[in-house]
Amino acid sequence: MTPKASWLDSFVDGLPTRGWFQFLSRHVVVPYWVWRDPKPKLPGGPRPSPQPGENLQRMMNLVMPLKDPSPMGRAKAALIVAQNVDEIFAGLDNVGTVHNARFLLLGNNLCMLSVYDGDFSNYIRDFIATIGSVFDAIMDQVEGGEEVSPTEQKIERFIDWVQAHDLFQVPDFPSDLFALQDQAMRRTGKAHGLRSLPREYILQLHANPDVSLGGGYRAYPGVSAAQIRKNHGMGW
Amino acid sequence: MESTESPPPLPATPESILKILYRVDGDPDRRPVHTVGISATGFFKASEVAPLYCRAAHFQPHRGGHPVTVRFSNGSGCKDPHDSWSDVRGMATRFTLPAANPAEKTYTDLIAMTLPEFFSSTPDDFQEFAWAARPADYVAERPWRKFLDMLKLMMPLRNPYPNETISPDLGAMNFAERNDAAKPGVLEAASIGAPTCYLRAAYHAVHTFIVTNEQGVQRPVRFSWQPVMGVRNLDSNTSNPKPANGDFYLQDQLRQSLITSIGKDHPRFTLMMTLGEAGDALNDPSRAWPPHRTRILMGTLSIEEIVNDPEEWEKISFNPGLLTDGIAMSDDKVLKFRVETYKLSSKQRNASPCPFSGATIHDTQG
Repeated sequence: MTPKASWLDSFVDGLPTRGWFQFLSRHVVVPYWVWRDPKPKLPGGPRPSPQPGENLQRMMNLVMPLKDPSPMGRAKAALIVAQNVDEIFAGLDNVGTVHNARFLLLGNNLCMLSVYDGDFSNYIRDFIATIGSVFDAIMDQVEGGEEVSPTEQKIERFIDWVQAHDLFQVPDFPSDLFALQDQAMRRTGKAHGLRSLPREYILQLHANPDVSLGGGYRAYPGVSAAQIRKNHGMGW
Repeated sequence: MESTESPPPLPATPESILKILYRVDGDPDRRPVHTVGISATGFFKASEVAPLYCRAAHFQPHRGGHPVTVRFSNGSGCKDPHDSWSDVRGMATRFTLPAANPAEKTYTDLIAMTLPEFFSSTPDDFQEFAWAARPADYVAERPWRKFLDMLKLMMPLRNPYPNETISPDLGAMNFAERNDAAKPGVLEAASIGAPTCYLRAAYHAVHTFIVTNEQGVQRPVRFSWQPVMGVRNLDSNTSNPKPANGDFYLQDQLRQSLITSIGKDHPRFTLMMTLGEAGDALNDPSRAWPPHRTRILMGTLSIEEIVNDPEEWEKISFNPGLLTDGIAMSDDKVLKFRVETYKLSSKQRNASPCPFSGATIHDTQG
């Protein structure tokens, strides 16, 4: 027969929901572990893979902090996107490998979320080749934008900038985080207890506060934009 | 439960694995795992596109569908049901294949569970895992240890369930610390929970099979059952109330669902087939495939009623190697090992033998 839980068991089990313990965790425990076991910021975007399926319908979650996050600055960014919809849509049509793309104002950021096929650098290069000037107007509104503007002339720097602002994609299988951290920290053969996984996530989310949670759902995985064009006889 | 026994020598054999798998609270006359179960009958209707991918008889259109028998089960080898405990659940499906002469029925099986991956990639690793994860005494972690875990930002050990005295959890966790291949399965199993009903869980046949179509095109695939009612687990925090009888509700719930569906749509599962590609873990069941692979809807399974003679049906032996023309085993060593282990298990518990007499084990591709 299992012994009945004591009042102390119940008390400790309830700690994570208590305000003072949450305060202690947030302001003492987590900062201690961040100091003791810091994690490097993991790179954004989909990870390189030779597999065809991993190179289709890849996600870009570009988060660009606004220079002026006030309603006025946000309105300005919104209007720039709205006034250039034709140029942006035509540019995305010309890239030819984009399934969908949209802009969001989220928090203090202007975000561009898109799903594309193939190589990331080629996607950005093609995109800028067709709408560079419009994107320069957008870059004027975001922090650090002036360093990569005009984008058409600073394309390689712009690609690096986009990559640095693309969200880290948390692995689809949670325990894969151990390997990604080991790889980034260039360490091998370290044993990882599964019970330490929550700590690794907390510390990683300290280094990468904004992330994409997994690779996302796809209704028609394994199908490229080119196949949809061909098989459905629709064009862009 | 301290044991001075030493692990059986490698290589693993069906005998050695079965010996390890039987729990002290199990029943040698029943299955060593997935001991508690219930069977129901229904029919499977192949989708329009299924024949494009597989020439197997049950993936061809058939008026009224193909008759099936399904056994739902709890993963544990404990002979007593503990339905509300977090545990892997199983769904073994036997398809009755169309035959010119009804007296010569043939079958094919598809065995699936709620985990999307297995604990190991080879029989030897599985033997080591099973040995490490033998149920051992399970007592609540002391409060000060839990507090220490929280300060280390670690997952505290779960509290034992009422009347739970032994558990494989600690041994499995320790094994996973040293074996990366076991990590995904052990992590998932530790947090898998309990479904509100057997009809509200997704089940995965974790092994790769090779399907062949009429044109002879072969593809590596994995199968999953998705419940049309949606996946729903008991939730300790919120809306899903705990059943009154937490230890034994899944079979009642299944019966009730089938009774209330009379005259309406039967509870259904869709059979999704995922196409593997070069570079995927084709022969390693410990590694789930990424969720971005092409999926094909192969058909819909409707569950109609509980079998007439449940005790007799508990004697039926399923086998993952009971395949038919159009579906073959991959080179997955665990899959091949399971075929022999299931046969031996069936023999040891005096069950109805796997009906291989009417169908062939397709252990080569094609």
